[in-house]
Amino acid sequence: MLVIEAKHVTKVYPARRGTRIMLGRGGLGDWLRGRRTTSFSALRDITLEVAAGESLGIIGRNGSGKSTLLKILAGVTLPTSGEVVVRGRVASLLELGAGFHPMLTGRENVYLNAGLLGMRHAQVDEVFDEIVAFSGIAEFIDQPVDTYSSGMYVRIGFAVAAHTNPDIFLVDEVLSVGDEEFQRKCRRKIGELREQGKTIVFVSHDLGIVNTLCQRVVLLNKGEMVVRDTPQKTINFYLRQVGRDRGVHTFTDGALEAIHCDGRLSLFHRQEEITASLGCQMALTSLGQRHASTDAEWDVTEAGAASCAASGRMTRLPLKLEWRMELAEGKLTWRAAIECEHATDLSLIELILYLPTSYLHWLYGDYAGRFPDILPADAGCNVIVAPEVSARDAAALPAEGAPLPPLLIRVTPHLRHMGLLWANSEYVSFSRLLISYARFPQEDCTFSAGRHDVLTLEIDTSADRARIEERVRAERSVRSGRLSARFELGKVRLAFDDQELTASLHLYSSMFIEHLWHDSFSLQWSPVRSDGRRMTVSGESRRFPFRQEWEIEAVEDGIDLRIYLDAWEPFEAQEYHVSVVIRPEYDHWETDHESGAFPPFDPALSVWKHLNRSYAPGSRAKALSSTLPSVIFEATARDLGFRMTPLNTRPDQNARVLQALRPSEMGALRFEAGRHLYFAGQVRVRPKHET
Amino acid sequence: MSVFLYNSNEQRQLRRLPRDLIRARELLRDLVSKNLRVRYRYAVMGFLWAIIEPLALMLVLTFIFTFIFSGRVPVPGQEGTPFAVSLLCGLIFWQFTAAALTSATQSLIDNQNLVKKVHFAREVVPIAATGYPLVNLGIGLVILVGLHLGLGGIIGPSFVYVFVVFSIHLMILVGLALLLAVANVIYRDIGYMVGVAVIFGFYASPVFYPLEFVTRASDLPWYPWLVRLYLLNPMAELLTAYRQVLFEGRFPDLWLLAWPAVLGVCLLAIGAYVSRRVGPTLSDYL
Repeated sequence: MLVIEAKHVTKVYPARRGTRIMLGRGGLGDWLRGRRTTSFSALRDITLEVAAGESLGIIGRNGSGKSTLLKILAGVTLPTSGEVVVRGRVASLLELGAGFHPMLTGRENVYLNAGLLGMRHAQVDEVFDEIVAFSGIAEFIDQPVDTYSSGMYVRIGFAVAAHTNPDIFLVDEVLSVGDEEFQRKCRRKIGELREQGKTIVFVSHDLGIVNTLCQRVVLLNKGEMVVRDTPQKTINFYLRQVGRDRGVHTFTDGALEAIHCDGRLSLFHRQEEITASLGCQMALTSLGQRHASTDAEWDVTEAGAASCAASGRMTRLPLKLEWRMELAEGKLTWRAAIECEHATDLSLIELILYLPTSYLHWLYGDYAGRFPDILPADAGCNVIVAPEVSARDAAALPAEGAPLPPLLIRVTPHLRHMGLLWANSEYVSFSRLLISYARFPQEDCTFSAGRHDVLTLEIDTSADRARIEERVRAERSVRSGRLSARFELGKVRLAFDDQELTASLHLYSSMFIEHLWHDSFSLQWSPVRSDGRRMTVSGESRRFPFRQEWEIEAVEDGIDLRIYLDAWEPFEAQEYHVSVVIRPEYDHWETDHESGAFPPFDPALSVWKHLNRSYAPGSRAKALSSTLPSVIFEATARDLGFRMTPLNTRPDQNARVLQALRPSEMGALRFEAGRHLYFAGQVRVRPKHET
Repeated sequence: MSVFLYNSNEQRQLRRLPRDLIRARELLRDLVSKNLRVRYRYAVMGFLWAIIEPLALMLVLTFIFTFIFSGRVPVPGQEGTPFAVSLLCGLIFWQFTAAALTSATQSLIDNQNLVKKVHFAREVVPIAATGYPLVNLGIGLVILVGLHLGLGGIIGPSFVYVFVVFSIHLMILVGLALLLAVANVIYRDIGYMVGVAVIFGFYASPVFYPLEFVTRASDLPWYPWLVRLYLLNPMAELLTAYRQVLFEGRFPDLWLLAWPAVLGVCLLAIGAYVSRRVGPTLSDYL
């Protein structure tokens, strides 16, 4: 059903509105001087329909008639000709905050306002507490609103409109005011209203919000409707056609096309947008305040056919952003630099690449995974891989069949403290984020006057999908017959014929230093070197002066694991262990001294449970299952004195453990500076029928 | 759903006015109470001013006309009524008229943040502005009746005729309020004109003198025309009618009601038509 119909709407304003002469329209003085009234047409022949439950965005430059159209839909003014029909209760937020009387208190204004939106007092009583809670200004609610700040004004205005349970919600640029937290709240509320099937008409300059909140977007230019289509198409049209401006340049090379638009870079591959609507942006944080590149005033300084250089003067920072973008051979190279006019403190520089959610898999150095789904409850960014890996390259793979190329991204930092991470955005932006950032500590955050290169980002769209997949898979694993071992951030996953044998923490190691366990997966791991039979990898502790080097080699029926500890300063540990955490299907265990059954998990227990009684040193532990191949864990470095222990994990981890524990006989284990053998052993599997 | 149907083409139709007003009745109440609250918000004595204001004015005028200009014209039938009471009667109804017209004229401009942002029947605003001086009138009326009774006057069942006169009075005011409020938005000159007219009206209406003071015989050759012109001011008839009801305890002379009634109906019709016509697009001028 159509809830909003506008037919051939034209609006002509008397000229006074535009010119705002003090004498007023047709003032006597004007009339005597022969100046007759002129008119200004704000809208020309707009025909528009909005169905129930639809969310429509209206975009356009300043003065294109967006607000006028919204006013006409809200019934605040009438079209000069044409007809508007609106079915349903309308709540409108025009030009921030509905009608407030400055001398009334917040409470009185809430009632007055809700009354204007068509609510009875009794109905307002019901939602009053909710309104106040949402606005977050409970302590000022009985103060006259002329004591309110403009932010509080908007908060309460939005809260009232959002809680009057309208069928149709008309919003004009509310989200550009207020602090970030409130903006998020508003966006979430608008998202909720949309989920509830309310009709939303939304005017905004923020193309990102329009893109995520609206199903259709109308583009107005000088009072005429130019396009009405999906958000993506309308926004692209806007950027290309209407947005021709000093800060806009489009450049192409082969299948690639890039648009720089006022501090946002959008990339297209065969007309498909690779970046999400927010494109690729930069943000600087100084003195706790975040400044986005889209807030800067941009000038395209060099507009080449396949390249673009632009400089953006930050409006509230004494510096310029200098971007140089180039397309060549399916690759975008983007060099970002800042030029400070005088010394400036920056605590954080971020470069954010927004990708659509059709990118499903991430690669990060040698690690890979699948992006989790973005849920409506996600109010903030969800970091997926933090910079535990000091890798400089990343890749993203689209879903099978998506018309997007795989992306290979290489970041070359030119500053210290640079990191890279993959994240999921909050629900409203609904995109994948690759953020490369530099966080500067207090004592090292001053940028002297002059030019500073920030980083170079290369996005390669010509990479072969199969090769990316293969590269990631192959380089981190060794195979021995039907067994494969795959290294993953300080854990080794074991699989037999692609059936995983390990679970939860897989094969890992942990050291007890200064009363805390330091797990191998919290070390900072370097990329893996592997040839398919043998791989080596080293991980550096962030807190203690050592590095672990793991060597994993395929042997018959299993893998050989050697761990060396390289300390550059002496340090002490109480004890350490290497554990194979296996699936709960294993039901029996054997050690050198005893054997027994794995008992059921005890829900009351919140620690791991030792199952052996003998604590004599040993070299062998074995787990058996009726369905899975047996796992034999052997410590070959006998002189280190390992104890072989079977355990049950905590019930929530739901796994069995074979552990080689090296206890400290007396006092602590002391590691002198230098290289030590930390562990040597084997994990072997025996298929069922052989045992 | 059909309850909330908005069609831009119907907004200017006169026949929709009653429905729109009924729908906005709660808003009307809110606006009246808003006006009252705002008016006395930062005043220490608050609502007391509604009582002090007319009383003080009455005392001043009584003093002036008892001791300075003491020549007075007797009104047949009201010989027993003290000057102060008669003056107060004229004063409260005149003050009401003046307050209603001034506040109504500015009402749409004062409430422009409502008009510019929300859709509702614009007529509500000037009507509410006419409505809130009613409270002052009510208080004044209580004082008047008290004073009248205290000084030996009698109030009979004929008091209800006040409401007959008052309803005609109100028609004129609402009609004018609609017309002036809308006109003032487009031509801000109207506000100043009303200000001048209110000052002039105080003297051109029988507030501190009886109507008989004007209508008595005179030697001037064009005097009858001047009286006719004077009588075009409906307040001349209305204030006299109020006095007849209150102090003579009878239904007022019919000729006193005829012209104001005709004028009231016409003004109401014109006001409603103009406000319907221009009201929906008023936000363009604000």
